[in-house]
Amino acid sequence: MSSSCSKTMSCNTEGQVNSIAINRDSTLIVAAGRSVFKIFSVDEERFIERLNLRVGKNLNLSYSTLDIAWNHFEDNILASAATNGAVVIWDINRHQRNKQEFVFQEHKRTVNRVTFHEKEHNMLLSGSQDGSMKLFDIRKKEVGVEFCIGSTSVRDVQFCPCQLSYFTFASADESGNVLIWDMRRPDRVEKQFTAHNGPVFTIDWHPEDRTRLATAGRDKMIKVWDSAKCKLTHFIQTIASVSKIRWRPMREFYIASCSLLVDSSINVWDIRRPFIPFATFENHKDVTTSIVWKNDDPHILYSGSKDCFIYQHLFKDAKRPADLLVPAGLDISTQGIISHACTDKNEKTQTSSGRPFFKKNPGRSEKFLEATSYLMTFCHPEESLSMDWFVISAQRYLLTGRPLEDLLDHNANVAHELGRHQVAQTWEMLKTLYCTNLPSTVVTGHPNLHQQRTISVSSDKMDTTLVKEKSDKVGKGARHKSKADPEDKTLDVTSGGSDEEISDKEMNERNLSNIARGQINPPTDWDIYYGGGENSFLDFNSLADMENNKQPLTLPTEAFHPRHEIASQTRSLEHFQYVTESPASGNEGETSTGTGNTNPYASDKETSFPILTADPLALQFPEWNFKNIVIDMMKYHAREFDVQTSACMLIVLGNRIKSEIDHQVQENWLLSYIDLLGRFKLWSIANEVIKLSYPSPVSHLNQQSTTVHVTCNKCNRQLQRSGWSCDRCKSVINICSICHQPVKGLYVWCQGCSHGGHMDHIQDWLSLDPQCPAGCGHFCEYT
Amino acid sequence: MFVAKNIQSDHKDLIHDVAYDFHGRRMATCSSDQTVKIWDLGEDGEWHLTANWKTHSGSVWRVTWAHPEFGQVIATCSFDRTAAVWEEMVGEKQHDGSLRTWLRRSSLVDSRTSVTDVKFAPKHLGLQLATCSQDGIVRIYEAPDVMNLNQWSLQNEISCKLSCSCVSWNTSRIHSPMIAVGSDDTNLSAGGKVQIYEYNDSTRKWNKVETIARIADPVYDLAFAPNLGGRNSHLLAIASKNLKIISIEPLRRDSTLSGQSGLTKFELKEVAEFNEHEQQVWRVSWNVTGTVLASSGDDSCVRLWKANYLGSWKCIAILTGDGSPQETDRPQFGQLQGNQSAGGDRSVGNAGVRNLPSGIMNLRRNTGWPSFNTKKDQSNVML
Repeated sequence: MSSSCSKTMSCNTEGQVNSIAINRDSTLIVAAGRSVFKIFSVDEERFIERLNLRVGKNLNLSYSTLDIAWNHFEDNILASAATNGAVVIWDINRHQRNKQEFVFQEHKRTVNRVTFHEKEHNMLLSGSQDGSMKLFDIRKKEVGVEFCIGSTSVRDVQFCPCQLSYFTFASADESGNVLIWDMRRPDRVEKQFTAHNGPVFTIDWHPEDRTRLATAGRDKMIKVWDSAKCKLTHFIQTIASVSKIRWRPMREFYIASCSLLVDSSINVWDIRRPFIPFATFENHKDVTTSIVWKNDDPHILYSGSKDCFIYQHLFKDAKRPADLLVPAGLDISTQGIISHACTDKNEKTQTSSGRPFFKKNPGRSEKFLEATSYLMTFCHPEESLSMDWFVISAQRYLLTGRPLEDLLDHNANVAHELGRHQVAQTWEMLKTLYCTNLPSTVVTGHPNLHQQRTISVSSDKMDTTLVKEKSDKVGKGARHKSKADPEDKTLDVTSGGSDEEISDKEMNERNLSNIARGQINPPTDWDIYYGGGENSFLDFNSLADMENNKQPLTLPTEAFHPRHEIASQTRSLEHFQYVTESPASGNEGETSTGTGNTNPYASDKETSFPILTADPLALQFPEWNFKNIVIDMMKYHAREFDVQTSACMLIVLGNRIKSEIDHQVQENWLLSYIDLLGRFKLWSIANEVIKLSYPSPVSHLNQQSTTVHVTCNKCNRQLQRSGWSCDRCKSVINICSICHQPVKGLYVWCQGCSHGGHMDHIQDWLSLDPQCPAGCGHFCEYT
Repeated sequence: MFVAKNIQSDHKDLIHDVAYDFHGRRMATCSSDQTVKIWDLGEDGEWHLTANWKTHSGSVWRVTWAHPEFGQVIATCSFDRTAAVWEEMVGEKQHDGSLRTWLRRSSLVDSRTSVTDVKFAPKHLGLQLATCSQDGIVRIYEAPDVMNLNQWSLQNEISCKLSCSCVSWNTSRIHSPMIAVGSDDTNLSAGGKVQIYEYNDSTRKWNKVETIARIADPVYDLAFAPNLGGRNSHLLAIASKNLKIISIEPLRRDSTLSGQSGLTKFELKEVAEFNEHEQQVWRVSWNVTGTVLASSGDDSCVRLWKANYLGSWKCIAILTGDGSPQETDRPQFGQLQGNQSAGGDRSVGNAGVRNLPSGIMNLRRNTGWPSFNTKKDQSNVML
C-alpha cells in the first residue's frame, strides 16, 4: 500500500492557501490562494516546490485564486477561479514564464468553484456569485452551455462520478437550495430541494453510491441526502460553519469536513454516529480551507490552510476523539442515591462473534459505533450513605422549650433509638456534666457536705454501670474517640469511666468508694483529680492534704469565687424556682437573654453557667473547667462530618458554652447545619435553628425579606416610615370605623365598601347591626 | 439490601455526566448526542423524564445544578467551545402537556477550545461559575445580579498551561475560596496534573498555591469533599490512573513575615491510593456529608470508599450496574451485587426532542427555595 511508505508531512507555501488540487496520479499538488500559486511534487519524505505560477510583471486579479482544479486527463492543464470573475486555464508546460493559457471573462462576479468533468476532459464547469454556471470547452475556448439559477449565488458545483451518472451535476446556492442538473439540459432543473438554512457552501457526491449526496453549509450541519428521493438520510451537527466536505474513498460511511471559521481541525465522520468525529487532524494552526483525498486511497488526505501550510495527513496518525471521551458519569444524591452512567459493554459478545473478514481495523470502527451508555440508580447501597438518621434526628431533637436535663435526655434517647450510641453517649455526658448535681440542690436547701457527697457519688456510680453497659455496645467508637482526643479521657472518667483502660476505671472506683466511706474530704480531692487530670492516684492522700492546706490560699485567687459564696443560696433558689415554676419557658428565656449580644452578662462567666454556679457542690471545686472538654468534643463531631451534633449541642447548651467558642466557628456550624436542613427541605427545623442561633448573621437569616410593603389607600404612595400613616397625605390610614383609632395588628375590612376596623369592634357592631359602621349604608359581609 | 434500577435513558450516544440537584429530587444527564435530559423523582420513587432538549452543537461534557435559591438553573459545557446557563421556567401549558420549559439564559463563548468542565461555586460565594477548557484556561464568571441570569461577567482568567479536564470548588465557608484544576494532558513529563488555586481577596486574583507533582498521569475528574464542620484540612479525591485521596492542610500563615503578598502554604498528604478499578478511574463523587466517596472506572463498577476511625480508607461496596457477575475474590461484597429489579426496566415514551416554543407567556421563576433576598422582594414591589 502506498501509505506504508508515506508519512505525515507539511510545507510552508508562504501565502494563505485557498484551494489545493492534486493531479491524476497524486504526484503533484497545487496550492493556490490570493497571493500564492505554487506546484509541489509529493515525495516520500517531503513536498518539493516545482513551479511558482505567480510570476510576471502584471500580477492582476486573475492570479488571486479562490478555487483550483486539475484536469483529470492532461496533467499539464489546470483551471482556476478568480475573485474578479475570471476563469483561468493554465498550462504548466508552456515555455513562457507566464503559464496562463487563456482567461475566460464570462462571469460578472467572483467565481466560487471550477471543476473538470471526469471523462470529458475538455469540459470545465464553473459556478459564480452572479448566479450562473457555465460549461466551458477549454479546447474551443468558448462557453458551451450556461445554466442560470436567478439572483442567488452559486457556491459549489460538482459533477456526479461519471461511472454513476455521466451527465449529472449538482449545484448549491446561497439560499440553501441544492439543484441537480443534466448538463445537456440547461433549460430545466432535474431536481431541487432546500437543504439548509442559509448558504450551502459545499456538496459532494458519494464516489460509489450515486444517490448519496452530502451537503454542508453555514448552519453548521452536514447532511446526507438520498438524491433520488430528495430525502434526508443522515445529518451531522458540527460546531462551526462547514466550508468543505469530501467523502472518504473506498469507504461507505466516512466523510471529511473542515470549517469556515473557528475550528482549524479536519474531522472525519462516520455518518452513522453523527456526534463524535471518527478521526481528527489537528495539525493546522488556522482554518483549513481545502481538503483532498488521495485518488483511490482512503489513508492519505491533503489539506491546505490559511496558516500557509499544506499537509499530507496519514490516517493512522489521526486523533481518535472517541478514545478520549470520558465514558462515565457518577453522582450521589442528598438522600444517598447513587446514579451511574457507563458505557454499555454488553455488546462485547457481538463484537467477538462479528465478521472476521471485515476489511480493515474491524475493532476500531465497530467499537466506534457501539457507543451507548446505560444509566443506573442505586438506592441505599450502603447504610453509610443513607441520611435517614440525619432527617430523623433533625425532626426529633429538642433544642429548646424544656429544662436542660430533659432536652439532653431526650436527645440522647433519640440518638440511642437511631443506633448512634456514640452521639447518645455524648448527650448523656453533657447531661452528667451540666445536670447531675441538680437533685442535691433540690433536696437540700442548705448544703450538707456529707449528704451531697453521697448523692453525687451514687449518681456517678449509677452512671458508671450505665456507661459500662453502653461501652460494650459502643466499643470501637468510644475507644476511637478517646484516642483521637486525649482530653476526652478525663471526660470519660468523669462520667464513670467508659475508657477502656481498666486501671483507670479501677482507680476511679476505688476513689469513689473511698469517698463514699467518708475517708477523705471529697470536694478537694475531686478537685485534684479532675482539675489537675494528673491521674496520680498513688500519692493521692498526700496530694489531698497538700491541696487541703492550699485551698484557703488558692480560693481567693479565683476572681469569682467569693461572689459565689455570697450569691450561692439565692442563686440556687432562683434556679430551683425557675426550674419548677416554668419548666417550659425557662430555657427559652435563658437563650433569649443570650440572643442579644448587648446583654452585659453575656460575657460574664457566672451568668453563662447558672446551673453550674448554682450548684453548691460546684462551689467547692470551681477549678474544674470542663468547658474546654465540651468544646473539644463538639469540634470533634464537626470534624468527623457530623455538624448536626455540634450545632444542636451548641443551641441546647446556649449561653453555657457560646462565649467560649470562636464566633466564626459557631457561625460555620450553624450555617452548615441550616444548609443541610435545606437540602432535605426541613424548612421549619431550619427556621427554628435560625431562631435559636445567636451569632447575628445567622439569626438575621430569617429576618431578611420579611418586610411587607404597603401603599397608602388614599394616594397610592408607598408607606415609608410606618404602616399606618402616610407621609404625603399627612393622614392616618386604616382607622377603625368604630373607635377612630389607627389599627395596629389585625385589621378586618369589608371587601364591599372597604371599611373596617379592629376585629372585636367590628364583631361587636355586626352582632347588632348588619350595616356598615362607617355609615355608608353597605350591608357588610365578612367571611 | 438495595435496589438497582435501570433507567432507559434513550441518549443516542455516550452519557458523560449525571448530576443531582441540591435536594436530590431531580437529576440531569448529558450526553454526546448534544442533549440534556432532566429526570424528576416521582411520588412512586421512579425517575420521570420531564425535559429533553438539544443544548449544544457538540458533545455535552458536564452538567451541574445551581443552588435552588437562584432558581432551577443548570449549566452545561460542550465540545462546541461554549458553556451555557439554562433556567427552567413555568409557563403556559405546552403542546405536550407539560408546564415547564428550559430556556438558555446565557452562552459563555470566551473559550477558543472545547469547554471541559463547568461548576457553580458554593452558595456563600454568590452566583459564580468556573469553567475550564482544553487550552488550559480556567475562567471564573459571576452573575452580578442574581435575578438576571442573562448577564455573566468574566471575573478571572487563569492560565494553567496544561489542557484542563476538570475543576472543583472547595466548599468550606471559613477558608478563602479555593479551586482545584485537573489536567488530562497525557504527557507524563509535563508536571503535576492537579493544580490548586486560592483566591486572594485583597488583590482579587487567583493564585496558584500548589501543584500536586506526584500525580503525573492524566486526571479526568476531581472533587473536594464537602467540608461542613470546618475541618482545617481539605480532602480532594482525584480520578486518574488510580484513585487518590489527598488531604490539603493550610499551614498557619505567618502574617508578620509574609504580609499580604504571601501565599498560604499547604501541607499535602496522600491519604489513600487505590488501583482497584482496572485501568482508569473516570469519575469521583462525594456524598453530602463527605464521609463516603464513590468512584467509577473502566471496570464499569462503582466502588464506595469510607474511612474507618483511624482515618484509613477502605472499599465498603462494589456496585455493578450491568448485572454482570461480580469478581469472586471479594465474597464479602457478594450480597451487594445489583439485582436488576423487574420493574426497573421501563421505557420512557415521550423522549423526543422537544422544541422550545417560540413565544412563552406568563413565565415565572420556578424555585423551590424560600428566598432570603431583600432586593428581590423590593423589586417585586416596585413592579
